[in-house]
Amino acid sequence: MRALRTAGAAFALCAALLAGAPLAAADASPSASADGDDGPTEAGTGFRTATAIEQGQTATASASAGDYLYWVFPAAAGQVPTVKANIKLPEAQARHGRTTWRLDVYDGLRRRQACTSGAQTATAAPEDASLDLGCRIRRVRPWSEAWANEPLPGSYYIRLTVVDLPEQDLGLPFTTEVTASTRDTGGAHAEGGELSPLTPAVRAGATQAPDAGASPDATESPTGSPGGDDSSSDTAAAAEPDGGWGSGWWSDRWVWTVAGGALGALAGVGGYALSRGRRSFRRPPAAE
Amino acid sequence: MIKKKRLATGALGLLAAVVCGLSAPAVAVADEPDQPDRESPKVELVLDVSGSMRARDVDGMSRMAAAKQAFNEVLDAAPDEIRLGIRTLGATYPGKDRETGCLDSKQLYPVGRVDRTEAKAAVATLRPTGWTPIGLALRGASKDLAGGDATRRIVLITDGEDSCGQPDPCDVARELAAQGTHLVVDTLGLTLDRKVREQLSCIAEATGGTYTAVQHTDQLSTRIKQLVRRSADTPVQTPTAVQGAEECAKAPVLGAGLYNDREGFGEHRWYRVRVAPGQELRASASVGADRAVDPDYGVLLRAVSQRGRELVRGSEAGSGRTDVISTGLRYPVAEGREVEDDTPRTVCLELSQSFSAPASVKRTPGLPVELSVNIVDAGDPPGDVAAFGLGRGWVLLAVLTVTGLLVGLVWGWLARWRVTVWRTN
Repeated sequence: MRALRTAGAAFALCAALLAGAPLAAADASPSASADGDDGPTEAGTGFRTATAIEQGQTATASASAGDYLYWVFPAAAGQVPTVKANIKLPEAQARHGRTTWRLDVYDGLRRRQACTSGAQTATAAPEDASLDLGCRIRRVRPWSEAWANEPLPGSYYIRLTVVDLPEQDLGLPFTTEVTASTRDTGGAHAEGGELSPLTPAVRAGATQAPDAGASPDATESPTGSPGGDDSSSDTAAAAEPDGGWGSGWWSDRWVWTVAGGALGALAGVGGYALSRGRRSFRRPPAAE
Repeated sequence: MIKKKRLATGALGLLAAVVCGLSAPAVAVADEPDQPDRESPKVELVLDVSGSMRARDVDGMSRMAAAKQAFNEVLDAAPDEIRLGIRTLGATYPGKDRETGCLDSKQLYPVGRVDRTEAKAAVATLRPTGWTPIGLALRGASKDLAGGDATRRIVLITDGEDSCGQPDPCDVARELAAQGTHLVVDTLGLTLDRKVREQLSCIAEATGGTYTAVQHTDQLSTRIKQLVRRSADTPVQTPTAVQGAEECAKAPVLGAGLYNDREGFGEHRWYRVRVAPGQELRASASVGADRAVDPDYGVLLRAVSQRGRELVRGSEAGSGRTDVISTGLRYPVAEGREVEDDTPRTVCLELSQSFSAPASVKRTPGLPVELSVNIVDAGDPPGDVAAFGLGRGWVLLAVLTVTGLLVGLVWGWLARWRVTVWRTN
């Protein structure tokens, strides 16, 4: 992953130098601007077709009530992802009653992730013009047992849909804005362990002969290696976040530990001085 | 592994620099997102030209005029990489004979690169005429789109329910979706009639498409344009069709990638994956609800060893309106005790779901299943929960300070004692 990033950065730099700014801007690398104004204007209709967005980017979409809208964004270890959605409901005179909307977050393995806070489900009254939904999931861990369903670094899917509506309101047009942002938890939660990110397979599979003694090379597909060559150019794979998938080597734990060591050393010197006594620093009266 | 990565970092970085230095144009080419091997997607617009399209209730225009205007705008805006076709239903036979009227669906413009003038001229000739054989038109459209490996989309624009009854358009849609041709049907209804809505949303649901209730002309053209553009944006790869077996021993062996299958109510499907020691299997499965199902459902994906021992499972349950229910699992295969032992282990995957449906709902074909299999290097479990085993907090500082102080004191006493001993001697 780090290798790819370096190469990617080198390419981007090279492109910027040689071909000017437009090429670098067109590059789909995660370092592209994430200002939030010019996010995608379409949403996917399934896990496979989910629209990739970056952290902090605002994606918009227009759709019909009853559609299932999907986006995918990346989250790295140590981050707490929060997804917010604002729905501009169909015009009030066309609606026939209360509608309930829901926002779901799934990880790269399509496992639903629980929301720790935020209105995941909300009901709009017949006269409401818009509706806000939100979902914050648990902190992303750098590693977990295979038997746990902790959030792990990788892609996260957002699914937005109406779950309950009067039958007559099906198919009415609405628009929505979705933002995925993350908050770093810092050194208090800096953890060990490493895992290749949970990014989904985006290629068609190929079945193997049932009795062939496949070598390990054969089982490894193009997407099999962590961060396959063109994972960033495929629509369903979320681009790697700026800081990489891991939380990096730095955390304020270094400061605490080094400070602790220094304090211990100082206290040691102090203790020595205390018990050795003042005379101890004079030269022993050897000549007397 | 980290060392290997660093090496790779250097190597790749160097390579990038060399390529950059030697051939600037190559960089530009590498940055192009285009995939030359991709077959251009096919879209067919299916327009209802039945007599009822005369009704003037779309912003004061007749439904037909609104549709024509929308088609013209769509043809102008259609991306060049899309192969577009147009089919009509009920366009030619004005009579009362049901049998003849229900065979009335023909291709107006063949699927291919669009000649805009020609296509517009063809659309302009249409007059609201006959019956509404939706099922037949869908079958026809599917045939028009046949061949090749492109993604296929049918956009159905109609103002009425199927007036022919047989074949039921909803069943036709499900049947077409089950043929494994990656066909999606999006429907647009020009009336707010309950039966039309039910039928069109059923067709859309059966194929993973969308249903829109159209009330304004601009809404109609915007939506069709959006759907056509969506075809161009869909991912390059469509899943490989695979058929899971009833037991592990007969199951198909899957490599990494995307697959789809159909699983009937109450069925269990088995698949096999070969995973080498030191690698991790990642599998996710989604089961789609493409018809009216009961409101409570679940899915269970189990990884089982060849001897039948469960290794790990992923499960999910839900209730209420949904398109899919999905779950996933990951299973790292531990390195063998012998260093050279890298023969892949076979892991069996068993997929089952607990969807049920009212008795009136057709059971075949089964529910659509999408499987995603990935094989990656297994991660490094942390030696210590904290990053690099570092500490943090005031307690740590206090403990280190007190320890330092104590050690200092003892050291001091020792030094004093040594001096005393040296003096007395």
